[in-house]
Amino acid sequence: MATAVQHYTSYKARPFTREQRDTTTILFGGLTWKHERLVQGVFNNLNYKAKPLPNITRADLDAGKELIDVGACCPTIFTTGSLVNFLKTEVAENGKQKTIDDYVFLTAGACGPCRFGQYHESYEMALDGMGLKDFRLFLLAQDQLDQAPEKGGGLEINMPLSLGIVWAILCGDMLTDMEYQTRPYEVNPGDTDRVMKESADYLFEVFQKRPIHGKKWGLLAWHFLSSYFADALRVVKKKFDAIEVDRLQVKPKIKITGEFWLQTHEGDGNYNIKHWLEQEGSEVMPPPVAVWLGYLLHTPIWRLQKKAVVDRKVKFKMAMVRGMERLYVGTYNRFRKALGNVPYALPDQEELKKLASPFFHYELRGGEGHMLVGKALHAHLHKQANMTCELSPYSCMPNTMSQGAMANVQGRYPELLYAPIEIKGDAEVHALSRCQMILTEAKKRAQSEFVEAMARTGMTIEKAREIEAKRPELKKATYRIPHLGYASTAANYVMHLAGAKAAAV
Amino acid sequence: MQTWFGKKASAGSPPPSPRKDRSGIRVGIPKVLNVWSTSQFWVGFLRDLGIESENIVFSSDTSEEQGREFGKGRGTVDCCYPVKSISGHYGELIFGQKKKINIILSPMIYSLPSFMRGHVSETLACTRVMAGPENIKAGFMKESDVFADNGIKYASPFLSMAEPDVVPKQMYDCLKDVLDVDYAEIEHAVEAGYRELRAFNKRMRDASREIMAWCARENKPCVLVLGRPYHMDPGIGHEIESDLQAHGYPIVWLQYLPIDDDLLNWIFGEEVQAKKIRSPLDISDVWTSSNSSNTNEILWGAKFAARFPWITCVLRLSSYECGMDQPTYTPTQKIVEAAGTLFFKFGDLDSTKPAGSIRIRIETIVHYLAKYSDKIIQKKLALLPADCPLLAEKEKTLVAAASNQP
Ligand code: SF4
Ligand code: SF4
Repeated sequence: MATAVQHYTSYKARPFTREQRDTTTILFGGLTWKHERLVQGVFNNLNYKAKPLPNITRADLDAGKELIDVGACCPTIFTTGSLVNFLKTEVAENGKQKTIDDYVFLTAGACGPCRFGQYHESYEMALDGMGLKDFRLFLLAQDQLDQAPEKGGGLEINMPLSLGIVWAILCGDMLTDMEYQTRPYEVNPGDTDRVMKESADYLFEVFQKRPIHGKKWGLLAWHFLSSYFADALRVVKKKFDAIEVDRLQVKPKIKITGEFWLQTHEGDGNYNIKHWLEQEGSEVMPPPVAVWLGYLLHTPIWRLQKKAVVDRKVKFKMAMVRGMERLYVGTYNRFRKALGNVPYALPDQEELKKLASPFFHYELRGGEGHMLVGKALHAHLHKQANMTCELSPYSCMPNTMSQGAMANVQGRYPELLYAPIEIKGDAEVHALSRCQMILTEAKKRAQSEFVEAMARTGMTIEKAREIEAKRPELKKATYRIPHLGYASTAANYVMHLAGAKAAAV
Repeated sequence: MQTWFGKKASAGSPPPSPRKDRSGIRVGIPKVLNVWSTSQFWVGFLRDLGIESENIVFSSDTSEEQGREFGKGRGTVDCCYPVKSISGHYGELIFGQKKKINIILSPMIYSLPSFMRGHVSETLACTRVMAGPENIKAGFMKESDVFADNGIKYASPFLSMAEPDVVPKQMYDCLKDVLDVDYAEIEHAVEAGYRELRAFNKRMRDASREIMAWCARENKPCVLVLGRPYHMDPGIGHEIESDLQAHGYPIVWLQYLPIDDDLLNWIFGEEVQAKKIRSPLDISDVWTSSNSSNTNEILWGAKFAARFPWITCVLRLSSYECGMDQPTYTPTQKIVEAAGTLFFKFGDLDSTKPAGSIRIRIETIVHYLAKYSDKIIQKKLALLPADCPLLAEKEKTLVAAASNQP
């Protein structure tokens, strides 16, 4: 029989051995710089060398497009391009072999039905195209905290690593919430960014020095029960205490939702839209990664409820998941408390499901599933935001579907201000001008909320300043303004100053 | 090709009695997306519930006219044509029936009963396949409830069709009031549906095997279509394969490739023995994230075509803006071409058939097929064991002799 033909086989990563750990750097990316800095601390804590890829730039889009099949969604293109550009620079500086030996890349994977579950196929194709087929790429399954050791044992995706990453994400969310609630109102421009940098560096060290108590359950219990992280966040609070804010500035509150990568990202990958919105005079409500983790934690309950026979075993599993969820939310709330309860609470997954139900089935998977519909309605009905800006990658499969369903939502709730922004990566002017149109209306709404709150309470700017002068804590970034029935911060602040009760929601 | 008529139900236990009279209920099913690979399930399921065959109404094949007449202004987003076109199907079922239908049944198919189940990680439907109905429904509800306005009940069960044991509950939750059924009836009907689907798939696979056996006996080439099930819809796949068939080349579709043990062992047996793959239906050698059902099948079909001697050409069909196909373009081509099989891709298929360019490309394909098929057959035959199960002993000798000729 002839054997000349070599049938095609896909990429298989070479081993990454334990001995190579000291000389190999793990590359990763996909979150904000804050989250990534803390995750880096987690890696170092476990004696790995690690570094986040440089923040995404427009050039990554071109590099990605060049090497993968046409028609990919922009998160796939950007993230592939980012790895490509990093490796190109390394190869140019240190040569191919050294680059291959010195680095491995760790990427999140999901058994998702869309391209998120297939990102690595694109990475592999790009590596092939660059002649770097021997470069090592590993998958971190986001639904498995404890995976079998990667080939070679150099990288162990185990409980110490996974829990560290989850806790780093939660703390990253805390920082991000503080940042976006402070910067639009800071009296001295630059204060927030400076404190953010200091806080991220400080928390990086906290994660780097994390004590490891126990292996699996013991370690899990320690993470839930120890005050190690909450204490660290109290130190961060002190840093924010020093920032003076002026919350009488009327700004519409814009909730960001959308495809996971795009909504989380801060940079060229989404036209820097959060920054742009702030420059346009808004307050941005950033999307915490924790909502996604909460969704992953909660969905097994829905799956278990579907079982044909709900026996004792199933009931036990459900109780376990519920217990975990309670601990998870409890931890998040403990972190919030350490920061004066300024960061927002997590939405209840059952409520998101209920809100989305008439429009989008909660079991539909891919992207953010029904949560995009649920979150937009949640923000609108609870008066959390004046407008929802949904970032949708061009040609994203799940997002296009839920966005279509939003037409039905808008029919039912014409008051809901919703700006679906398609992101291609290279059509910035078009996207931002579309956002601008809806933002104008959001600004009007924030303004009329403010006028209404002033009228209801008889408050004037002068009076407000007098109260502030008597109670300087009001001007601290860490002073929590209660939600008193309005979406925008200034209106709630006026109500609070006047000691008024919540406006009817 | 698919048939859209209810065949006589195959044997099973009689439905639980007493059954309500549902003979007057007309059910419309939009013939879109993965209804193309599950149609016979729906026929078996509904007939078992007492719906008459003539009252099971599938919408017509997709066409631009259908979209213009019934779906205009109903679209809510821009996306791939197999999803966009669904508005026309809904509209046709609502407005285009002489005899009014009572229920529109548009399943949200979450996972599929693929023949590859157990050999891959998952057999999920594309996110747009599963969520398409929610998207399209919005276009018929954003101003007023067009279904209700026309006296139609809209039913869209969320179905994990890969897990037959959860389907009755999912179906019951959605249909209990719409069809006034009890759980036992649903359970029975679901079983009947699966039985019907299995029987149909078997008939189709047997038919493909016959075609392929003929090719083997005659030492003649055939062509494999590598696409999604709904590319069988003339309005989606534009009947490109028929144009090729008109030149005398038999066509087989990946969805109905024979999967009998003898044949698969002949093709993949040595690789299984060498532990390159775990089973003939394993695709881990070429594709890591085997989550999507139709994608898995496409990759497996490519592997099959790369090895099966008499498939000398693969037609890859793909719709414009298909996010699932996008990462597979290069791998499938590389898989198919590894042993010399011809590969032609018709990508970016949209609403209009690009007839001119298709004609020119078909001519090219025919030219290559005529020129290279013999060589490809010989080359691939030489890579496989001698005892092809498609051939009788006498024919094996003849074919072996032919393949040994220089
Ligand atoms: S959710 Fe959309 S944008 Fe994100 S990976 Fe999937 S298809 Fe791409
Ligand atoms: S598989 Fe492709 S063509 Fe089919 S629904 Fe999904 S995106 Fe559209």
